[in-house]
Amino acid sequence: MIDPKKISGPLTQETTQIILECISDGVFTIDYNWEITSFNRAAEEITGISRKEAIGRHCWEVFRSNMCEAQCALKKTMEEGKPYVSTSAYIIDSSQKKIPISVSTSLLIDKHGEVLGGVEIFRDHSLVEALRKQLSASFHVEDIVSNSTAMKKIFTILPQISQSDATVLIEGETGTGKELMARAIHNMGPRKDRPFMAINCGALPDTLLESELFGYKKGAFTHAVKDKPGKFALARGGTVFLDEIGDTSPAFQVSLLRVLQEHEYTPLGGVEKEDTDVRIIAATNRDLSELMETDQFRQDLYYRVNVVKLFLPPLRQRMEDVPLLVERFISKLNLRQGKFIQGIDHAVLASLMSHSFPGNIRELENIIEHAFVLCQEGIISCDHLPGFLVQKKQTPCQAPVDDPVKAAQINLISDALARNNYNRNAAAKDLGIHKSTLFRRIKKLGIKL
Amino acid sequence: MKLAVTVWGNRISPVFDAASTLLVAEISDKKISRHYYTDFDPEAPMDLIHTLKKHHVNILVCGAISKTPASLILDQHIHLISFVTGNARQFLDSFALARTVEKKNRMPGFNQSCMNVY
Repeated sequence: MIDPKKISGPLTQETTQIILECISDGVFTIDYNWEITSFNRAAEEITGISRKEAIGRHCWEVFRSNMCEAQCALKKTMEEGKPYVSTSAYIIDSSQKKIPISVSTSLLIDKHGEVLGGVEIFRDHSLVEALRKQLSASFHVEDIVSNSTAMKKIFTILPQISQSDATVLIEGETGTGKELMARAIHNMGPRKDRPFMAINCGALPDTLLESELFGYKKGAFTHAVKDKPGKFALARGGTVFLDEIGDTSPAFQVSLLRVLQEHEYTPLGGVEKEDTDVRIIAATNRDLSELMETDQFRQDLYYRVNVVKLFLPPLRQRMEDVPLLVERFISKLNLRQGKFIQGIDHAVLASLMSHSFPGNIRELENIIEHAFVLCQEGIISCDHLPGFLVQKKQTPCQAPVDDPVKAAQINLISDALARNNYNRNAAAKDLGIHKSTLFRRIKKLGIKL
Repeated sequence: MKLAVTVWGNRISPVFDAASTLLVAEISDKKISRHYYTDFDPEAPMDLIHTLKKHHVNILVCGAISKTPASLILDQHIHLISFVTGNARQFLDSFALARTVEKKNRMPGFNQSCMNVY
């Protein structure tokens, strides 16, 4: 039993020790050689490593966090002399379990102001993370996050699509995540352990495209000094993703149709046919049925690739995903760049919500990446946004309003109306909502036409 | 025999799941006869497995590793020696000589099950 008198009055070494042993946060200290000098009880419990084993070892051998290599918070603290608070990370314990944690660091300074080393405090977030996963399971598939009704419908049928071997056609504007969706289908399906090969059909001339896909034999052309396998051979057992299939020439469409029909192809310069064992996922930012009607896309190929069709809605039709995506991009960039940006402020969110994102999710990612260049730490504000977002008339960044969400809704609807020459039916279609919903919102928000 | 070690500068990477560079070394006559570096993405373990197979690597040495990539690697019949620490070249030299993980190269929590064979 601890004598209550021991922990009253000024902190002594003994009382500090008692407190450190009682708290549920893991705490360890290091010296200038990065060797652990103290390791509390909670640190033992979270890492699964005893104090006896930990003390005297380099911190990265004991702590084993994803931050150790390139983004060590303690290293930053030691170099810059300032603390870091609540950075998200994970550690790997001795039973190979990934444990989500938050980390805070500061300098270890004695009563004379002399720096002795650093201190790292970490908290086990396993329970929080489990709850968060449970909550987000409904709007999270592989690397795709969405809370929109249209995307949730896709998420629901995605497991069945992944398990089948049917050819999939993904339609959607540029930057809506077509390749990410294709990868998700591949990763969730029986071919996941085999390669995923992507090729942009719109970026290459026919001969190059055919040599990339079908490969070539030695002597097929001047510099073909040895056989080179194509994507179909390299992806054997896996998936070939044909991006921008709508931009291919009629001649290439014939070659592709033959592969899809006969499951075999002839490498350039070859005489023998080779069989294929790949799943095809095609994507386009154009309307293939429209191209078919104008004879720019072969009808027989259209029906071959259009076995299962997925349409990815543009970001302006699922603006509820903007906060989720922003959070995702910030944590991704924090990891990649070793920064500790905590989020965006309300004005930035309102500004983003009022933007129509012609470049879709890729544009949003670029905006956040731009902000990362200018924002060194803390919260992203309007000062860190690209000029075209800040210069927009009546953006919440320039004219703060009482309710940023309402302001964003007004801007979004006004932009859609302006884009569609104030045709309300077209604007409703553009926004992905029913026209009666648009009329109701125009009235409720007091938008003057 | 060919080994690959996940490295961070001249050290063995503390965490496989956050590493990005492989040191591939060829051992013959109990010595490192050849070595070179290559990049990899730890978030795509299947790509790493293809890289290892392409380079004819049959042993992967790393620091701490989580269960998912560890079992994927073992499933592909690649030996996995995990929870290893220290200077990568020195480890390779001693491993080439004695085919074991010296005490100084063992992370806390290292046990015989870290010397996984498929």
